[in-house]
Amino acid sequence: MNFSFHGGRVSGLLCVLPAREQSFLEDMKHFDFPESRSRKLMEVMGYDKHRLVESGACVSDLAVCGLQYLFDRGLLGRDDFDALILVTQSPDHFMPPTSNIIQGRLNLKQDLLCLDLNQGCAGFVIGLIEAFLLLQQESVRKVVLINADVLSRKTSPQDRNSYPLVGDAAAITVVERGQADVEIHASVKMDGTRNETLMIPAGGFRMPCTPETAALEDVGDHNLRAKDHLRMDGSAVFNFVQVEVPPLIESLLAEAGVAKDSVDYFLCHQPNRFMLQKLADKMKVPHAKIPMNVVEHFGNSSGVTIPVVTAFNLGARLTQEQFQVCFAGFGVGLTWSAMLMNLGPLPFCQMIQYPGGEQL
Amino acid sequence: MNINVEAFYAKLAEILDVETVQPDSVLRDFEAWDSLSVLSLLAMVDAKYGITLKPAELAKVKLAQELAELVELKIASRSGN
Repeated sequence: MNFSFHGGRVSGLLCVLPAREQSFLEDMKHFDFPESRSRKLMEVMGYDKHRLVESGACVSDLAVCGLQYLFDRGLLGRDDFDALILVTQSPDHFMPPTSNIIQGRLNLKQDLLCLDLNQGCAGFVIGLIEAFLLLQQESVRKVVLINADVLSRKTSPQDRNSYPLVGDAAAITVVERGQADVEIHASVKMDGTRNETLMIPAGGFRMPCTPETAALEDVGDHNLRAKDHLRMDGSAVFNFVQVEVPPLIESLLAEAGVAKDSVDYFLCHQPNRFMLQKLADKMKVPHAKIPMNVVEHFGNSSGVTIPVVTAFNLGARLTQEQFQVCFAGFGVGLTWSAMLMNLGPLPFCQMIQYPGGEQL
Repeated sequence: MNINVEAFYAKLAEILDVETVQPDSVLRDFEAWDSLSVLSLLAMVDAKYGITLKPAELAKVKLAQELAELVELKIASRSGN
């Protein structure tokens, strides 16, 4: 389905990456697999390093670190936003909403709509849609969108289909009113019949965590995983992306009346380099227009990868220039989404480390 | 439609990190027949023949020859649409 918005814009982007970095060569030690095949996996998928939180670190820790950084530097006023949207699949607790926890930890005002959204790899576009919808209210002048996940904590180190690519991160995107004559187009599709393609089977009410769900099982290819862990059907995800994403982007561009060539960058979710290369080929877009270097530097942090790919590749330029960008997120749900907008110049577009807030 | 089977086996050998693949080669017997090879195969047939092989379809295939036949079948059903 299609959305269009008038008069909204992104006015700042901050990514928060864990300071802890782990290399694929370290990951390999946990795999029961010939080393030559692991090296092949590394080469084909583009694995190198990924950023993982220390055990115990939660989504609200990353988010509070980022917001405090912005408050301290005068990049965001603590009373200047009227809604706080958190998109995550790894909340601190089932209840209360983690957005309320963030509000409380920072002593934010009570006239603030706090909203948790359960979305994954498409969660940046979904969050932006929600933010633009809220901005249509008179009382909402500015929205803070937080995308954050610490899914490494739910990934088996002995599952080489998931662990080498996973990363943790948070991103804070400030969304506010802009010129009324500027239109933003978005398109979203969902298919719940394929909801098991990416899932954490245990830990909810359907299958509560027990000693049995914590037991590691050989799930083929000598990969060990428990029902408490994230499970990803890599082949099904690959087919899904190749089949569904290019037509979604084509139809969005047609709807907006924008030629593919006039899009400066396609800022896509970052599953791994392999899938993005194949996606670029399928879309017939030059690889230079689809940055695909996030997994090798930071890992795949679900809904945070679009902010990370943006800040990492275009951060400095976006503080000076404007680009026409197409965001595209795809994954859990299944959900696939794309949004076309003019991005920049932004007052800030940067990356910091957690803990400490040191600039990256 | 028939594919160039020689070229197909050569591509398959490349994916499986071996010199050659014979029609009667059992795919599961290759050391490199794992999820990475399956993904590479899905990508190869998508790029080269424009077809999508489903993991469930692939699970039924035992020999290299059967894989080639599956690819031909998928190409035929696509052009029939």
